[in-house]
Amino acid sequence: MGLAPFETVVASHHAEIYRYLLRLTSRSGDADDLSQETFLRAYRAWESLGDGANVRAWLFTIATNLARNYFRSESRRRRAYAGVSDVRTDVDPASPEEERRFRETRVLVERVVDGLPLKQRLAFVLRKLHDLEYEAIGRSLKCSPESARAHVFQALKKIRLGLNGHELPMMESVR
Amino acid sequence: MTAKHPSCRAIEVDLVVTATGDAESRSAERVHRHLDGCAPCREEFGRYRAVDQVARGLRAVPAPEAVAQSRAGLESRLADLRQRRVAYRIFPSPLGHILVGRSEHGIALVEYLGGGTTLRASRLGRLEGVEAVEGGPELEGLQRELIEYIGGARRDLDWTLDWRLTTSDFSRKVLEATAAIPYGAVASYAGVARRIGRPSAVRAVAQALRWNPLPIVVPCHRVIGTSGRLTGYAGDKLGLKQRLLSVEGIKLRAARRDFSVVRDAMYALDEGEVAYCLPTCGSIGTRSLAKLTLFASRESAEARGLRPCTDCRPDLHPLPAA
Repeated sequence: MGLAPFETVVASHHAEIYRYLLRLTSRSGDADDLSQETFLRAYRAWESLGDGANVRAWLFTIATNLARNYFRSESRRRRAYAGVSDVRTDVDPASPEEERRFRETRVLVERVVDGLPLKQRLAFVLRKLHDLEYEAIGRSLKCSPESARAHVFQALKKIRLGLNGHELPMMESVR
Repeated sequence: MTAKHPSCRAIEVDLVVTATGDAESRSAERVHRHLDGCAPCREEFGRYRAVDQVARGLRAVPAPEAVAQSRAGLESRLADLRQRRVAYRIFPSPLGHILVGRSEHGIALVEYLGGGTTLRASRLGRLEGVEAVEGGPELEGLQRELIEYIGGARRDLDWTLDWRLTTSDFSRKVLEATAAIPYGAVASYAGVARRIGRPSAVRAVAQALRWNPLPIVVPCHRVIGTSGRLTGYAGDKLGLKQRLLSVEGIKLRAARRDFSVVRDAMYALDEGEVAYCLPTCGSIGTRSLAKLTLFASRESAEARGLRPCTDCRPDLHPLPAA
C-alpha cells in the first residue's frame, strides 16, 4: 500500500483541523467533537483514498461537510455568533495605539465574518485563514473554483462595507 | 456615495484581489497603473489591504492543552475502531459473489452473498460492534487465492484467521475440528461431535457449521451426514457443497434432492487408526460414518502422514481412478 499510516495523518493535520473548526464554531467542545469525527470518518475511508491524493484538502472537505451539518441547526448558528467565544487570535502589535486600533477592527471584521452566508464564510476562512487553493475550496463546498473565488470576493466586499467610517490600522504603503 | 468613474468600476474586482493577494501578475500591473493616477482607488486599495491583514489575524489560537486533549481522545477512539474494523472485498467467483473480510488479527469472514453483490447482502454490515470498511488492493491477493482454490488450482489457504466472529467456545471447537479435516476427505457431523468430546451434540455441531463465519477456509463442506448424504450447506447452498467436494475429487452421486458420497470409491480411515484401508477391508464397509474419515485418493490420505493398511494393501490394489 502506497499510503502512509493513518497515525502520521493525525500527527500532521489534527491541530490545524481543530483550529479551523474552533474558528467556525467558536466553541472548544464543538471543535473537539467535530475534529474527532473528521478523523474517524477519514480513517474509515482511508484505504479507498487513491495514491497521490491531497490529504490535507481532503480532510478540510470532510471537516467542512461536518461543519455545514452542524450549522444546519439554526440555533447553533445564532449561538455561534452571539459572542460566547473560546477563540483567541493572533495579534502582532506594532505600538499600543496601533494595537488598540487593530483589536477594534478585528472585532468588527469578526462580527461581519460570523454573519456572512455560510458558503461565503467557509470559503473566506478556508482561503484567508488556511491558505487553501480555490480548487480545494470548491471541492469542499461542492462548487467550482470560480464560485469559490466569487464567495471570497463577496466576503471581502461585505467586510470592507462593514468597516465604512471606521479608522483602520496603518498598513504598509500601497506598493 | 458619489458614482464611481467607469475606469474605477472596471478595475474594482482586480483591485480587491490584488490588495488581498489573490491576483495574477498581469491584473496586478493594471491595478497599480490605475492607482498611480487615482487617489480614491489608492485609498480603497489601502482599506482592502487592511481588511486582508486583519482577517488573516482571525486565525484561532486554541489553548495547547485543549488540542492535546482532543487529540488524545481521538487516538483512543481510533484504537477502539481499529480493533473492530473489518476491511472487506466483494468479488465474483464460480460460486457467486463472495465477500472476504480481514481485521488486523486475520481473516474474519468469508461469505457467500447469494444473488447480492454489495455489502447490503452481507451479514457484515449488520454485525454489532463491527466496523465494516471497503478494503483496498491489499485484499486482491486473498481474492486470487480463493478463486484458485475454488477452481482446484490450489489446495490450501494458508491464512491467519481471526476467530472473533465465532459465536461461542463450542462453535470455535467445532470449527477447529472441521479445519483439521484434510483436503480431499470427508467426515460426518457425528464424527466432528465425537472429535470434540461431545458425541451427542450432533445437531449443535450442524448449527455451529451452518453459522461458520469462514466457509471454504474452514472446510465445513467436508462435513456430511452419517448416511453419506451431504445434508446441507450454509443454509440452502447444497449445490456449492457438491461443487467444492467434486473439485477435491470426492465422488458423489445424485440422491433424491441431495447428493451422496460413493463410499465404495473412497479409502477409509477408522477412528484412532494411522493406516487407511480399501472400502472392502474387513467390516469397514459397514461401519458408521460417525467413526470414519473418507478419502478421495491415496495421495490425500498420505499427505496427512497416513500409511496404507497392511491387510488390504491399498498401495498394491488402488481403487480405479475416477
